[in-house]
Amino acid sequence: LHVGLFLPLLAGIALLIWPSLGRRLAVAASGVTFLIAAWLFARASGEAYTFQALLLEPIQMYYALRLDGVGLVLWLAVALTTLLAVFIAKVPTRMLGWALLMESGLLGIFAADDLILFYVFFEATLIPSLLMLGLYGGRERLKAAYTFALFTLAGSLPMLAALFAVRYLGGAPSFLYSDLAAHPVSGSVADWVFLGFLVAFAVKTPLFPLHAWLPSFHAENHPSGLADAMGTLYKVGLFAFFKWAIPLAPEGFAQFQGLLLVVAAFSAIYAAWLAFAAKDWKRLLAYGGVSHMGLGALGLFSGNAEGVTGALFLLAASMVYTGGLFLVVGRIAERTETLEIGPVRGIAKSAPALSVLTMFLVMAMIGLPGLSGFPGEFMALLGAWKISPWLTFIAFTAVIAAAAYALTAYQALFQEEQNRVVSDLTPREWAFAVAIVAGVVLAGVYPKMFTQMIHPLSEALAKLLGGGA
Amino acid sequence: MITLYILGAASTVLTLLGFFVPARVTRWLATGSVAASIVYLFFTWGQRQTAFGGLYVVDPISQGFTLVALLGVLWALLVGRSEKWEFSLLLLYAATGMHFMASSPNLPVLLIALEVFSLPLYVLATWRRDEPGFEAGLKYFLLGALSAAIFLYGIALHFGATGSFNAGVQGSGPLYAAALLLILGALAFKVSLVPFHWWTPDVYQGSPTTVSLMMATAVKAAGFAALVRVLNVQDQGLWGLGLGALIALTVIFGNLGALAQRESKRLLAYSSIAHAGYVGLGLYSGTGTAAIGFYLLAYLLSTGLAFAVLAAISQGDVPYERLRGLLYRKPLLGVAMGVGLLSLAGLPPFAGFWGKLLVFLEAAKAQQWGLLVLALLTSAVAAYYYLRLFNLVVARGEATEAAIPAPGAGTPVLAGQSAGGLSLATGRLAAWPLVIASALVVLLGILPGLGYRLFSPTPFA
Repeated sequence: LHVGLFLPLLAGIALLIWPSLGRRLAVAASGVTFLIAAWLFARASGEAYTFQALLLEPIQMYYALRLDGVGLVLWLAVALTTLLAVFIAKVPTRMLGWALLMESGLLGIFAADDLILFYVFFEATLIPSLLMLGLYGGRERLKAAYTFALFTLAGSLPMLAALFAVRYLGGAPSFLYSDLAAHPVSGSVADWVFLGFLVAFAVKTPLFPLHAWLPSFHAENHPSGLADAMGTLYKVGLFAFFKWAIPLAPEGFAQFQGLLLVVAAFSAIYAAWLAFAAKDWKRLLAYGGVSHMGLGALGLFSGNAEGVTGALFLLAASMVYTGGLFLVVGRIAERTETLEIGPVRGIAKSAPALSVLTMFLVMAMIGLPGLSGFPGEFMALLGAWKISPWLTFIAFTAVIAAAAYALTAYQALFQEEQNRVVSDLTPREWAFAVAIVAGVVLAGVYPKMFTQMIHPLSEALAKLLGGGA
Repeated sequence: MITLYILGAASTVLTLLGFFVPARVTRWLATGSVAASIVYLFFTWGQRQTAFGGLYVVDPISQGFTLVALLGVLWALLVGRSEKWEFSLLLLYAATGMHFMASSPNLPVLLIALEVFSLPLYVLATWRRDEPGFEAGLKYFLLGALSAAIFLYGIALHFGATGSFNAGVQGSGPLYAAALLLILGALAFKVSLVPFHWWTPDVYQGSPTTVSLMMATAVKAAGFAALVRVLNVQDQGLWGLGLGALIALTVIFGNLGALAQRESKRLLAYSSIAHAGYVGLGLYSGTGTAAIGFYLLAYLLSTGLAFAVLAAISQGDVPYERLRGLLYRKPLLGVAMGVGLLSLAGLPPFAGFWGKLLVFLEAAKAQQWGLLVLALLTSAVAAYYYLRLFNLVVARGEATEAAIPAPGAGTPVLAGQSAGGLSLATGRLAAWPLVIASALVVLLGILPGLGYRLFSPTPFA
């Protein structure tokens, strides 16, 4: 557990100091991390892996880790995507180091079982993310970095206030999740606490009015898409709602549920619509991601077991395929030297395997049954339908729209008349393709393997909301 | 006790000895005695002592805040090097005064201690002997004298209301309230809470950077030590409102003022004002001594890093542009500056984050929600200007002004500054504090308990 958490950190630091160690170390470190995650996943029984040590005794703050079913699935997704990203992306070596630092932070976010520790990881992950953008980004990178940093920081400070409130007004003896959950806040305090969490997590989900940092963040990152993929992993908002915001202030959630459902539905279609208008791949994928997270949020906010399971599964699955798409787009951009959708056409003739790989990921993204996007979307749909059929109906027009924008862009790039000859997959890219397609298909064909780990926890949350609200 | 003897004896001896030995030796002796006091503090950590009929008390407050103050002085001694031996001597006098300031519950003694460490600082502020330096010294002196007068008047009223010269005595009535508020105002001047902060930007900018380093760190520690003792009275209504107003004004004006700056030392001055506001939050709960102590330690390390880097660039002004690309030209300075700035901004996993978290927690314990939210909002503003500077440090591109000497080069950077004879420490001597402080900032960021325990009543239990 600890090895898995801190190995990327150490390797990352080593890479930052001695960049000559090169990519091999990064790949090895993230590979081992992935194996650890997979091993933990395979060995998992209903029990969670836990660890506790007192970190700051006078305020009862613990270094507490708890890796339950949901955490394991997300660990697996993070570790796989990072491994693939580090393996494939053509970037300066030090940047790989930052990516590994970021992986550690992300794994920590999903494993933290103490609210302050969670906050620490949540914020600490910001630094490598900002640095990757600031050091290696595009022309407008500083503007994008400020936007990103200010959105995130302005969001997480209300969360800090909520974090104090939830302990001192709830009367919990420590910041441990179990203690906090045993002393839920109530009344108008719960509303404020939930609102505090809401602002922070909605920025990171991202939900409609607070998504504005995302397009420029993705567009200005290094064209290889490494940082974009890591940024996709950083969209931990849904998980954070699930683990912290909702259980700690269920009454507050009940107050806002209606509004949240509407916002989630709206951000799904709104982003899909913008994605259709996007002129370059990164913006398209960014808005596509917002749209997907909107669907996930719709499932999560419906508060029943199916919806929640679907949302979390969608989150994990989309980490892999969206991250994968960013990387593939980065490879294409390296060949064609542009990320724009118009100018280069018809490269499928010269690069057939590449076009098939891209097709696979695009299909996963638009939720083709049999690939990993579908099960999550379907369960989220199921859950949301129970709460509000109309909203669900409206929101899921986004799925149709997804097919429209993704396929249009795909067609423009790969099909149609050929005007550019590019090389096909290199052996390294073949390995990447095999791994990611295997993952996507496995999760799509046999989702039960993953959902059975998530489901008990979603049921518990649904029960909490049924009994508490 | 021994701490006081070491510092007092060293000051006295060096005053005369300085005439006969080279400046270098004086500096080494001063550094050595401060270091010895720190070592002694560590060996007697957690022991209580009283002397002079209760005028001098060594307790966790005294030890913790003295440690921070002495570390600040030690750092200034290591970074700054002057051809004149009085430079080291004055720093040593100031250290003695600060130690006494942190160790006395008696108000007149506090006033004496205040003067003991303030007078040398008035002189040190003018060390560069140029226009801004003189202006800084004069401003600092006039306002400082005024605040001392206010302090004295507060003491008189306090004696009138309670019949006691001891801080922390419970009293009542309007006279008592006036006394507490006057004392609060005078001490607020030392730790630069708004609206008693006007001297700070000019003095920090006009003084040699090394001296600013010490002012920003050690003086604050001494000031807050006294505040902790003075405000140790049960009835919060008396001083709670006054302090609340000061903190609210401080976090707002400190941070907004910092936004508008274009010069690094001035920026750090405003940032130090804002940080004083955050520290003030810890005064509310009555149990916040450890939190304040930790904050000041974290703040000492981070601000010290920033000032030490600036000192390595120039003892005079450092416009933002000169920091551009520092990371590539001088990796050590760049990393140290980056760590310092991120820690000041309160991002985990750096020590500054825990400092902020801890004082905020104290405010939450005391149910000061309004102030807490205000402080959080202004920290978001603070993050902006720290990140702006941080961005410059990591940005690619050449600085507009020419070469910056390595920390080891030891050459005066500004022509005007050679008059004051203050140059930079050489070689590893200047580099090691940077490395150690950066490491400590990260270490305390990962294991905050290490530092926090130092300031608890039972440190090694």
